[in-house]
Amino acid sequence: MGEVLGQLGISGPLLLSQIVNFVILMVLLRLFLYQPVLNMLEKRKERIAQSLMDVERSSNAAVEAEKERAKILEEARREAQEVRAQSARDAERIAQEIRSRAEQEATDIRMKSQADAEAQVQSVLADAKKQIADLAISATEQLLGRELQNRSEQERFVNEYLAQQGGSGK
Amino acid sequence: MNRIRSFFTDLVQNPRKRNITIGVVLLLLGSAILKPLMASPHVSLAAEPILENGPAWFTNALLTTFLVDIVLIVLALATRAGLKEGVPSGLANFMEMVIEALYNVVENMAGKNAKRFFPWAATIFLFVIISNYSGLIPGVGSIGMTHGAEADSHSILLENQVAAADEKLTFSLFGAEEEGHAKFVPLLRAPSADLNMTFGLAIIAMFMVQYFGVSALGAKYFKKFFNFGGKGFMGAIFSVVGILELVSEIAKVISFAFRLFGNIFAGEVLLAVMAFLFAFILPMPFYGLELFVGFIQAFVFMMLTVVFFSTAMVSHDDHGDSHH
Repeated sequence: MGEVLGQLGISGPLLLSQIVNFVILMVLLRLFLYQPVLNMLEKRKERIAQSLMDVERSSNAAVEAEKERAKILEEARREAQEVRAQSARDAERIAQEIRSRAEQEATDIRMKSQADAEAQVQSVLADAKKQIADLAISATEQLLGRELQNRSEQERFVNEYLAQQGGSGK
Repeated sequence: MNRIRSFFTDLVQNPRKRNITIGVVLLLLGSAILKPLMASPHVSLAAEPILENGPAWFTNALLTTFLVDIVLIVLALATRAGLKEGVPSGLANFMEMVIEALYNVVENMAGKNAKRFFPWAATIFLFVIISNYSGLIPGVGSIGMTHGAEADSHSILLENQVAAADEKLTFSLFGAEEEGHAKFVPLLRAPSADLNMTFGLAIIAMFMVQYFGVSALGAKYFKKFFNFGGKGFMGAIFSVVGILELVSEIAKVISFAFRLFGNIFAGEVLLAVMAFLFAFILPMPFYGLELFVGFIQAFVFMMLTVVFFSTAMVSHDDHGDSHH
């Protein structure tokens, strides 16, 4: 057995040295290679995940901002529309008001002028009545050739007559 | 027919192909001329002491082991120095890629235990692959010194050649025992072509298998081997299976060791013989083959180790007799 091992080149010390060598190598590589590299890979993975998340977040924010912008724009448009409609309504109302006031005024003026005219007509009529009465009296005086003694009696009589005429004349 | 003729006329007329043809022919002629000058390929199962009168433990394989260690440690330090958080580049990038690939392989097989297994698996892979490839570097195994002080080395070499030419390819596998002849000893030898290294690795791997098994299952782990508690016929079967299991652990050590050693050693012998038969051209495909084998053996060693680690950590109670 020992000779066979010797011929195969197996010897205890060399075997042991290889084992020790491997273990030392493993410890060193673990210290200098695996841990730093794996840590680095882990860190990089985290960073990539982080930045991906950031990208997603910022793109979400951009979408959100876009939405917000659209909303604000829409609102502004609606408001503008409202203002326009409101102003149109206001203008319509004011115009209406002005028109109705003008109409009112016109009506007032017309009424007043009518009243005036009526009053004038009344006064003219009264005047005319008075003059006619006077004329009638004077005519009657002239016709009778004398002045009635009872002038006031005369006047009353004529007026009564005229009122009678005016009442039936209507 | 026409195509064959055009192929040959092309070989002569196309300047590029003509140069290649001339080169190949010259190399083949050179091989033929070199043939009688060549010593028979050096083949020795065992790693040999470099110094004739030096210590027996200072073998060429041991020296190469140290060189492989140095290469790996320098690689590790250079990688560590080159690591940066930004965009990786150069050597650090390459090593990161390697480490990540190895880690993924281990993780795929071992799952949550990957972190514990990884240093062992990765070191096995890196150490074995650098060892394997170290034997492929020109000069390793061919540069060395002649032991045998009594004669002028040159004349001994000539004598060897004559002997080799006569005997064709009769190797003296156990050349150390030959008396009177001067013996060529290479300065370097691939560590994985030395049984000490492969056995060392195999022993470590199987030791760690037991370690991980015990750390995961406690004393229950040994029930796999010593299962005498059962009653009746099946109990007897289980106890025998346990003994087989124990034997198989030792068999695994041996198969680990000889698989790696056999592949790499055979590869070196193959390359040496091919180079001896025909110095140029002929060894080229075998060289490619050996590059492939070197990688595959390193990978297989690592994979098997991880597989054994993983299975050791699984309790066998759950599925009664599922042994392998």
